[in-house]
Parts: sequence; structure tokens; C-alpha cells
Amino acid sequence: MMRLGAGTGSSGARPATALIADDEAPMRDLLRARLQAVWPELAIVAEAANGVEAVELGERHRPDIAFLDIRMPGLSGIEAARRLYRDAHIVFATAYDQYALDAFEQGALDYLLKPVSAERLATTCARLRTRMQAAPAARSAAGAAVAAAAGMASPACAPDDIGAQLARLATLLERGGHGNAPGGAGKHGYLRWIQAQVGASLRMVSTREVLFFQSDEKYTRVQTASSEFLIRKTLKELLDELDPDEFWRIHRSTLVRVDAIAEVVRDLRGRQLLRLRGSAHELEVSRNHGYLFQQM
Amino acid sequence: MPIADMRASQLNRGVDFVRDAGREAGKLWWRFFDWLAVVEWRQLYLTWLFVGVFFVLVNTPEAGFWYIFVSLAVKVLAGGKRKAELLAKEATLQANVATLERSLAEARMAALQAQVEPHFLFNTLALIGQLIETDPPEAARVHAHLIDYLRSALPQLRARDGGTLGKQVELSRAYLAIMQARMKERLAVRFEVPDFLGSAPFPPTMLQTLIENAIKHGLEPKIAGGTVTVRAYVVQADLHVQVCDDGVGIDTHAGDGVGLANIRERLQLLYGTQAELSIAMPPGGGACATIRLPYRMMKEAP
Repeated sequence: MMRLGAGTGSSGARPATALIADDEAPMRDLLRARLQAVWPELAIVAEAANGVEAVELGERHRPDIAFLDIRMPGLSGIEAARRLYRDAHIVFATAYDQYALDAFEQGALDYLLKPVSAERLATTCARLRTRMQAAPAARSAAGAAVAAAAGMASPACAPDDIGAQLARLATLLERGGHGNAPGGAGKHGYLRWIQAQVGASLRMVSTREVLFFQSDEKYTRVQTASSEFLIRKTLKELLDELDPDEFWRIHRSTLVRVDAIAEVVRDLRGRQLLRLRGSAHELEVSRNHGYLFQQM
Repeated sequence: MPIADMRASQLNRGVDFVRDAGREAGKLWWRFFDWLAVVEWRQLYLTWLFVGVFFVLVNTPEAGFWYIFVSLAVKVLAGGKRKAELLAKEATLQANVATLERSLAEARMAALQAQVEPHFLFNTLALIGQLIETDPPEAARVHAHLIDYLRSALPQLRARDGGTLGKQVELSRAYLAIMQARMKERLAVRFEVPDFLGSAPFPPTMLQTLIENAIKHGLEPKIAGGTVTVRAYVVQADLHVQVCDDGVGIDTHAGDGVGLANIRERLQLLYGTQAELSIAMPPGGGACATIRLPYRMMKEAP
């Protein structure tokens, strides 16, 4: 995806160059059209359709400015920026997204809200031009100092600061369910899907559907409201991987979904039994786990 | 205060007292009556025994005899009718609770169905805005798809036959056409839905949710993109509607999101244990989500 823009250099200075990265072609088209309108001299030297391409093209063409979409396949815009920020002014583009906006409000990084409006783009471009005139190498800390001394609008901050900001953004947006990991709401890192072999394919059972796990000799039985599966994972492994707030161990061989517990009863022998919602199964609570239901 | 007046006020007070006492006695009597109506015969025998023994001990057997006689007469003559009245009252209460529960479930369903992704709407409008500048004919096409999509996606605008597979497939086609305008060659689409299944009842927005998931979690993270395939087929008495993608597959440590939980809850409300949503990773990679529910050829006439 190469596009060589013929920058009409003004007064002998090398025309400014830019890279545009967005996974949606219409967005690239619009940004290019808008940039041509507000900054005709800017040469768009490369267009990338994903984060990996953005880094490759950025390293090959060394543009002065990189316009990066945040959500891209391969590498997110933030990750791409971490590879490019030492050599290019970074401007992020983001669709409406509370996480991203909150993150940017805290930092001094340039960002555009998609769909990009002409006015906002003009403001951003004016700022970039001022910075680049003040110090063509305004990306270095020295350049920033010169610009600041000259009373110019200085670049956001020194590269080290930018690096730190990008690292913070990366973690923030990761938590917001961005980047490459298809994020889900809630806590990360715990096992959310149980894989059970059914015929030729792997059946994915959401832990939300699981009522309880019970270990058999070689297998573990996974019980949902409608069916049961056998998996090879041991109870011990499951215990390590599952969210401890979601599943409790109530017996040497049983893990139960806390939400599924309907009531705790005692049988004639004084053992505690759990009755479950959406199932006729009763589960025995062993003596050393009785403390879980002490107040009941 | 003249004496006559005093007498009059005392008399009034006396009358008031008698009237109040009468009212209380009446209340007590009816309470006794209700108790008699519903009490088990065996318990009644027991009270007779105790009362009989008590009054014999205090040497007034007549009172005991009257109690037994009156309660027996009331129980035999009026008990059945009164019991039926009380039971009817309780049944009405329970029926009201059931109606309430049903309307609550209906309200929940409506809330669950009313999920149009605001981001999608916003992004599509933004896309149309851009295309007006860069590619007006394409803008017109996307605009038409958006109208189709909204017509079937917004409950207020939903047509009467919105709950059929045919309608849902139509809506999905509109949605996928919009996504193709954004993703270009990164999104290919295949439909394998036989025409005769078009009239089969199928709940709104479920197919849509599965397709959104396939794109968002399967294809968008994949640089090359891929294909979304929508299939429908009947096995025995069940309709299966399946959405497959050849994307990055499922991250076992990522939550399944609101969408799938929502589908599960609605299937449970609508079909109980006769329906299910199952997710699988086919041997070739990617992911498949299948909704199975009882197959009917068409909606029953209301």
C-alpha cells in the first residue's frame, strides 16, 4: 500500500512527510482528503492497513508525522507508536471510545476523534507545523528545550516522557479490551472457556454455564444445566486457573459455581448438602470446607 | 352541666361501647368461622377433646357442649363454601403473581432485544459522512443498508414478521454489507440458508449478535481478515442456525461478553431446555456458534 505524494516544497525546506495508518480504507481516504485540504504541502508518503505494516513503512520511509488509528489488527496504534515515536510526531486517531478518551485526557499526546473534523485537523496541523519549524528535530529532548526557550508551542514532552505515556496508554487500553486480545468485560487472566472434545471439534463451554466440576479418576466432569462433558484437565489445574470468586471448592473432588448455589441443607447425618439452581444435583460439602457456609 | 345532659352522654357512650364490642365480636366470630372452614377435621376433634375436658374440669359442661355443637354445625353447613372462597382468593393472588412474573419476563425480553450497538450506529453515520465526500454512490448504498438495518433492529420499527429467520437473515445481510464497506477485501460473506426456512420463527437480534461477535473477536484482530458463513438447517425437529468465522479463534481467558449471555438467557426464557447456544472451535481454526431451537414451519396465528 504505497502512495507517493508530491509535496510542493516551500522556500527550499524539505516538505513535511506523513504516514497514515488505519484498517478501514474509507477512513484513510477521508484523512488523506482532509489533510490535502488543510495542509497541501504535506506529502503522504505511505498508507498502512494494520499495525505491523505501519511499523514497517514507518521505519522504511521515516515520515515526520505518523497518523495512527488505535484499533488495528496485528499491532494496535499504541504499540506501533512505541516503535516509531523517536523518529516521528505521533497523532492518534480514535473512534469514540471512553477508555481511549480518558487515557488521552490525562496525557499530552495529540489525538483526533474519528470522524476527523476539518477544524480539529487544522488545529492539530498548525501545532505540528509550529513544532517542526521551531526545531526540525523537535523529537529530541534538546529540540523540545529549544522550542520551549523560543516560547513556541513545544512538543508534548521529551521522548522518555512520551515513551512512559505510551506504556501507560498501552496498559490502560489493554484493560479496556483493546489491542489484539479480544477483550471481555471484567477481570483478565482467569480461565473463561472450558474446552471439551466433542467428535472432531472442540466444544467451548463458557464458565458462566458450568454448574460444577467433579473429578473422576482420570477425567473431570463438567456439568451444565443441559449437558455434561468430560475433560482431561484435573481439578487442581482448574482450581489454579479459574476465578476464585466464581468457583469454590467444597470437597476434595468438587468445584461449584457460587452463583448456582440455591440453598444449603443438612441431611439426617448432619452433612451439608448444596442444592443448585437449574439442576437436580445435590453436592456434598466436606467437613473441612463447611466453614464456607458457617453463617447459614 | 345539667343532669339530663350527663345521662344522655353516658347513654351515648354506652351505645358506642356496645356497638364497638359488637363489631369486635363480629370480627372474632368471622375469624373463628374462617378458621373452622379450613381447619382439618382431625384438629377440630382435638380441640373438642381439650375444650370438653377443660369445661368439665371447671364444672360447666354446657359451654363445652355448645362449642362443640356450634362448631360442628358451622363446619358441616358452611365450611365447604367458605373454604372454596378462601382458596379462590389465594388462587387469584397467585394468578396475579404469575401474571406479574410473566409481564416481568416480557419486559426483560424487550430490554434484551432492544440492544442496538450505539457504536455501530455512530460509526456507520460517520462512514456515510466520509463517503459523501470521497465516494457519493457508495455513500448512497451504505445509507440504504443502514435504513434496512434500523428498520429491523429497532423494536419500535420492527415489522410484524420480524421474528422469522428470513427477516433476521435480511437484517444480517444489511449489517454485513455495511461492515464490508468498512473492511473491504478483509471481509467475505457466505449465506447457506435455504429459502424454505425463511418463514420459520426465529427470535430477533440473536443472529445479529453472533455475526457481530464473529467479526469483532474473530476477523478484526486478524490482519488478513476472513469469511463469515451463516448456515441454517433442520435436524430432526430442531432448527440450527450457525455462524462460523475463520478468524483468530477464541481466547480461553477472555470473557464471553454480554451478547452471548444475553442470548442464553433469552433462549431459556423462550424455550426452556429445548434450546441451546453452543460454541465450538472447528479443526480448521476459527469459531462456530450454533443456536438450536424447536423448528416450526411458520408462526402460529395469534
